[in-house]
Amino acid sequence: MFIQTLLTGLAIGGIYALMAVGYSLVFSILNFSNFAYGSIIMLGAYIGYWAMVKLGMPVGLSIIVSILGAATLCYLNERLAYSPLRKRRASSLFFMISAMGTSIFLENLVYATIGARFYTFPTLFAKANLEFGGISIGVLDVFAIAFSAVAIYGLNFFLQKSRTGIAIRAASYDIDVCMLNGVNITALIGLVFGFAGALAGISGMFLGMKYIVYPTMGWITAKAYIAAVIGGLGSLPGAVVGGVLLGVLETFVSAYVSSVVRDVFSFSLLVLLLMVMPTGLFGRFLEEKV
Amino acid sequence: MGQYLSGILSLGLIYVIATVGLAIFTGFTGLFSLGHAAFFAIGAYTAAILTYFYGVNFYLALAAAGLASGLVGFLIGYPTLKAKLRTDYFAIATLGFGEAIRVLLENLSITQGARGLPGIANHTSLPVLLVVTALVIWVAWNFTHSRHGRAAIAIREDFVAAEMMGVNIFIGRLRSLVFSAACGGLAGGLFAHYFCFIQPSMFTSYMSTQLTAAVVAGGMGSISGPVMAALIFIGVPEVLRIANIWRLVAYGLLLVLIMIFRPQGLMGYREFSIAMLKDTFGRFRKGGRA
Amino acid sequence: MNSLAVAAATKPMLELKGVTKCFGGITACKDITFDLQPGQIMGLIGPNGAGKTTAFNLITGVYGLTSGAVIFNDQLITGKRPDQIVRMGIARTFQNIRLFKNLSVLDNVCIALDCHETYFLGAAFLRLPGVRQREKAIRENAMEYLAAVGLEAKAEVRADAMPYGLQRKLEIARALALKPKLLLLDEPAAGMNPEESLDLAELIRSLHQRFQLTTLLIEHHMDVVMSLCEKIYVMNFGVRLAEGTADEIQSDPEVLRAYLGEGYKRAEHP
Repeated sequence: MFIQTLLTGLAIGGIYALMAVGYSLVFSILNFSNFAYGSIIMLGAYIGYWAMVKLGMPVGLSIIVSILGAATLCYLNERLAYSPLRKRRASSLFFMISAMGTSIFLENLVYATIGARFYTFPTLFAKANLEFGGISIGVLDVFAIAFSAVAIYGLNFFLQKSRTGIAIRAASYDIDVCMLNGVNITALIGLVFGFAGALAGISGMFLGMKYIVYPTMGWITAKAYIAAVIGGLGSLPGAVVGGVLLGVLETFVSAYVSSVVRDVFSFSLLVLLLMVMPTGLFGRFLEEKV
Repeated sequence: MGQYLSGILSLGLIYVIATVGLAIFTGFTGLFSLGHAAFFAIGAYTAAILTYFYGVNFYLALAAAGLASGLVGFLIGYPTLKAKLRTDYFAIATLGFGEAIRVLLENLSITQGARGLPGIANHTSLPVLLVVTALVIWVAWNFTHSRHGRAAIAIREDFVAAEMMGVNIFIGRLRSLVFSAACGGLAGGLFAHYFCFIQPSMFTSYMSTQLTAAVVAGGMGSISGPVMAALIFIGVPEVLRIANIWRLVAYGLLLVLIMIFRPQGLMGYREFSIAMLKDTFGRFRKGGRA
Repeated sequence: MNSLAVAAATKPMLELKGVTKCFGGITACKDITFDLQPGQIMGLIGPNGAGKTTAFNLITGVYGLTSGAVIFNDQLITGKRPDQIVRMGIARTFQNIRLFKNLSVLDNVCIALDCHETYFLGAAFLRLPGVRQREKAIRENAMEYLAAVGLEAKAEVRADAMPYGLQRKLEIARALALKPKLLLLDEPAAGMNPEESLDLAELIRSLHQRFQLTTLLIEHHMDVVMSLCEKIYVMNFGVRLAEGTADEIQSDPEVLRAYLGEGYKRAEHP
């Protein structure tokens, strides 16, 4: 039971980690919680579903279509809803309202046009299980963990080794100095949102395949926010650790206590951490300059 | 007055009461909440349970509804505001509390869970609403024109400078939160006795969105703006028979567009006055020249 | 008896003892120690990044101290909240102006005056007669402070619609409205030409006398500093470089090398 719960927790933790990294990428550079991220994840799932079911593409290709679609949408979201505010140096409240507006617009647009019915991916391997030693783990979950690990490792490699990656990391420390050093900030921010969107696409696909596709599935990004706090705001490795840890803890609560209190537990953990240890596990010391 | 119009006006006034509360919270103090509907729900259930199960006088039940919501607002606000959470994490924390309230309402026996409470007495008449709404607006107006209102605005504008002006940030924010929670509760109690049936699924993010949209569109830093916006948001779609879903799409889009093109909303930081009306008419007559 | 002996006999209004602040690996201030006597105007000078504004932030409670103590009128204020410190009698202006941009000039001052008001929330909700009276008094009082800096004509103008020089004056009026005993001015003459900064120096001197203040001034305009300050504390890289009278500082070779420049011409004293 323990190992089973642990494995299930790791599987969902992997997806949380993906979302948390996507969220933290944007957060660490713009100091902004993108509340519309959830709707991008949702749209990624819908795009992937459409590719796989309506266009009959194979799984791998559908995932790629979903990644590209979500990346584009996330990028457009930034261009249209956030960059005008950034140019005006608007306060964070305005960003939040714009993000909330985007998320409500997209979710309800889907509700109004496509409808409220939920979609399930074809059960190719979604239901197949690997059995060993009395424990079963879904093949899909194994794929999710593996894919997440690859995506995160790839992103990390890019951030550490490539010039653009270094520019992104520099921007996460001080975006104005970066600009003064000749970095094209507009392009950089667009790229970062694109990456975040790509991660959203993957997350959306796996969530959709593991569970169901429906218009408000994006609310799960609340878990990404919590994961980012656990790992430490502004830290990408922290986001990964936070995501996995949250997934595991949550699953244990759900299994050993009750599934009803699972979300209440997660939010309570969030508030507790923010009160007691706001820098999380690996967070940077962020004090405002007066 | 026709039954139909009277109904729209009643619903509009109920929303105005909740909107005024949120206007103080978001518009004047600059805090953002993702779960304000929870206070509405608490007020609705408190008042309904008191009149339905315990035969309490309607007006006492209303007062209790406001007090109960205010108290919950205090309990939620104390730890989260004391911890000086960033605006976005405060919003996420409110999301969590909203979730906790929902879980509570769906699982307590006295609230009859997800089935809801039918058969509530219809005490909310138009005259009652007019009086209560006028009172709430008057009290809120007094607040904004007092030292407490100015402190709230200072907190919104620049909380570092506000502290340097001797404003206790924590108390100022808590005050606004409790007031807006109480307004939400009062509105909820009135709603329960107007609609005569309540269930947890009525108090969703749809409601929170509608309230926030009214505050933003009406103008942050104004009471009269959100009041007018709330009436328009209830009245116009009702009269034009626009479906709920498309209203939300419109609200979402509206929030983004306002943030980009006219962040000060309809009224900006001012209140509606006769002088303003004369001024606007004067400009129209002169053919658009100021 | 010369003025220095008189100063030594009275208790200092502000004492900094070994004040140190570290941000992670960076030491912004190390072992800053000085006294400020009641009625003095003291200058805090040094190159950019020397830790002067950090010192202000430490005194006003914006940052917590890593070690050391700040004592104001014999009371330890280390660890108190900024708004508590303001109420005890310390006011400051900001290097980059932090006015409440969307509010009127008058409202900016009213907020400062509110700090000493005590009428209750309940009374405010009901707008009782007492509240109405106090509100009227606040507005009248605010106009007086605006008049003191020459801004009474601009009372209803939006704060951010005013020219830079007038915004700086509003910053000062706002700080005065807090009715402080100690006034901290952070580069009040920033961005001003020599003529404007001398006018400002005059204004600061007259306000200092009129409101019986003690003033601590951060400034880069040396003519303002040398004409106003009886005592100067020089900082560099977070530590004390020199302290003394204007004359002593202007002839100190360390100060000339680090900040004023070898070719610095001594200011004329009135």
